[in-house]
Amino acid sequence: MNILIADDEALSRRLLEKTLERAGYDVVAVENGKQALEILTAQDAPRLALLDWVMPEVDGPSVCRAVRKRTDHTYIYMLLLTSKGSKEEIVRGLEAGADDYLTKPFDAEELRARLRVGERILLLEDRLVEARENMRFRATHDPLTSLLNRGAVLDLLGRELQRSRRENTSTAILLGDIDHFKLVNDTYGHIVGDEVLGEIANRLLNSVRSYDFVGRYGGEEFLVVLNSCDPNYGSSRAEEIRKSISITPIQTAKGSITVTMSFGILQTADWGPRSLEDLLHETDTALYEAKAAGRDCLRIARPATRQEVLAPVAPALLRHKR
Amino acid sequence: MRNNEIQTPNLVWDRAGVFNRVDNDRELLLEILGLFKEDFPPALAALRSAVQSADLQASSALSHKLKGMLSNLGGVAAAAAASRLESFASAKDAHSLPDALAALERESQDLVHELDAYLVEVHG
Repeated sequence: MNILIADDEALSRRLLEKTLERAGYDVVAVENGKQALEILTAQDAPRLALLDWVMPEVDGPSVCRAVRKRTDHTYIYMLLLTSKGSKEEIVRGLEAGADDYLTKPFDAEELRARLRVGERILLLEDRLVEARENMRFRATHDPLTSLLNRGAVLDLLGRELQRSRRENTSTAILLGDIDHFKLVNDTYGHIVGDEVLGEIANRLLNSVRSYDFVGRYGGEEFLVVLNSCDPNYGSSRAEEIRKSISITPIQTAKGSITVTMSFGILQTADWGPRSLEDLLHETDTALYEAKAAGRDCLRIARPATRQEVLAPVAPALLRHKR
Repeated sequence: MRNNEIQTPNLVWDRAGVFNRVDNDRELLLEILGLFKEDFPPALAALRSAVQSADLQASSALSHKLKGMLSNLGGVAAAAAASRLESFASAKDAHSLPDALAALERESQDLVHELDAYLVEVHG
């Protein structure tokens, strides 16, 4: 593990350096608080730091305070080295953000033991961060396909709409539905149905740019958001996505299955300042038209060919029978 | 107890303590003795100059630095003398600084003698 030592006194610095190298640490040693702060606030900073209290330019407690101000940083366990033994001073060091302190001259065994405490705290912190990230992922992703779930993809779409209006660009909303998916489940069983959903999710993800979004909108429905794209790009990309599903059969445990999808697409620039719900309703209507036209095809939602919907549409009315 | 009443411990060089600190590594001990011989005289000269000019802030900072150096090396009595000088400087007691400096110089000299004796013992 990497550890930073900051001490302006060469003899003390060398003693610490050697003691910690023997204990298996990779040591970075600096001679003042300013250098310590630069290292501790950089990317991939050491997670452990041993800081002398009194240093030129920036002292140990000031380094602690500056490091703790950064909330976007992984936790750094900091020990202050001090010859200041009074309770008030120790409290001041801990209040500044230090995790522990060690009085000079240090005892090598005590130093190693206190650093092991620091390592345990860091391990615990890493586990908490990992657990939080897992929870965050589960809250925003579909467990079967690992795509964004409905709430998360709609949230991102809402933000993307605001951004595209601000920057006067267009966003393509693509709503796709697997044709006759019930038949797949009824014929091959739900496990194969799940395999099909997983493979379709992969193909959708592989068909878009890294900054586009793909989410599972419903059972066999998927929402694709193509950010900052002109109408031609949106339509041609949508057509390529459709082909990527239908041309190559999906390999499952019960053999290869050819599956097709129908799509409705909407370019936000064509629709003016409409609400997210309105735009989704129009996209859904275009998808319904694709289904009605025989499936495995794409229909574009165009305001000129449709009666304007002025009143907000209740979510229950957004659903069409596939 | 007031700071200027603190007794200076008699132990000039805590040889066992410093060996423990270097994990009984004689090479490392010789290396830090070399650093001490290099860094200590100019630091002490700077402190002397600060005390002579009654610069309390510099006296406090320099005596603190010497205290750290001396205590890491096991110079118990000299570190205590440096600590006393630092206390006077921090308390803005300029009047007590010259005597405290003289005590530090004496204790440091004793320490240097012991260190030199050790070096003779090692190198023959």
